[in-house]
Amino acid sequence: MQMLTVPGPATLLYVLIGVTIVLVATIVFRPSLTDTRGGKQLAFIVYFLLPVVVASMGASEHMERSKETQFCLSCHVMDPYGRSLSIDDPMYVPAAHFQNARIPREEACYTCHTDYVMYGSILTKLRGLRHVYVQYLGTIVTPIHLYNAYNNRECLHCHGGARSFEEGAVHSADPSIMASIKSNQLSCLTSGCHDNVHGVAHLSELKFWEPK
Amino acid sequence: MTMATQTERRLRISGILIVLGLLVEALSLARIHPLAFLGFMFVGGGLLVFGIAIYLYSIVSAASPPEIR
Repeated sequence: MQMLTVPGPATLLYVLIGVTIVLVATIVFRPSLTDTRGGKQLAFIVYFLLPVVVASMGASEHMERSKETQFCLSCHVMDPYGRSLSIDDPMYVPAAHFQNARIPREEACYTCHTDYVMYGSILTKLRGLRHVYVQYLGTIVTPIHLYNAYNNRECLHCHGGARSFEEGAVHSADPSIMASIKSNQLSCLTSGCHDNVHGVAHLSELKFWEPK
Repeated sequence: MTMATQTERRLRISGILIVLGLLVEALSLARIHPLAFLGFMFVGGGLLVFGIAIYLYSIVSAASPPEIR
């Protein structure tokens, strides 16, 4: 039996854009259509309501797309971070998560950096715009770094409540350790436990995994 | 210029701006890139906002009674 495929939001958006353009063009070429009451109502729908709906759907679609790994890696400065996901060493946390599909590969960056640029407060969104400005018109300060120290919350989205984490020998050795981890007092990454992260400074010395 | 002609002219201008805005938005959706997002927000969005504003102005000004001199 053939399954019915539902068109994605982007397809629906393209259809809506096409329909709106045709209707607006009709009124542009025959503005006398708006002389009647029905014509005025049609004009209000195609000149106001439909463009607002299209813009809202488009903004939502762009926000979804900006979570994609491809979006983050489209800036040259991010190349080494993308490459670090293929380091052939399970001690490197992002590489191990990416290669073992512990995070969705198509949204790898966003999964572990949920509060970054587009997805935080207005201030962080403005930082996102500044990143684009710096990428094309400014000078990139290297090495790049996070604005704030990495928050354990990003790890606990998935690991919080997981048996391997909650009952892990080191994590549960002392009740104060677990409390410190969960309150972000003891960093997962910089406290010496999981400190091999992207390793971009020494990528040239490392081996890389080639997916088969 | 009569009121009807002026309203039709504004409708045409706003319609052209809205169509251009929609075309920019459609084009921006073809790529996954920060510049596509900015194009969508500022170029496409800007054209749409101007187009809608001119349309709203045209219906408000067409509805107002003629000035008595």
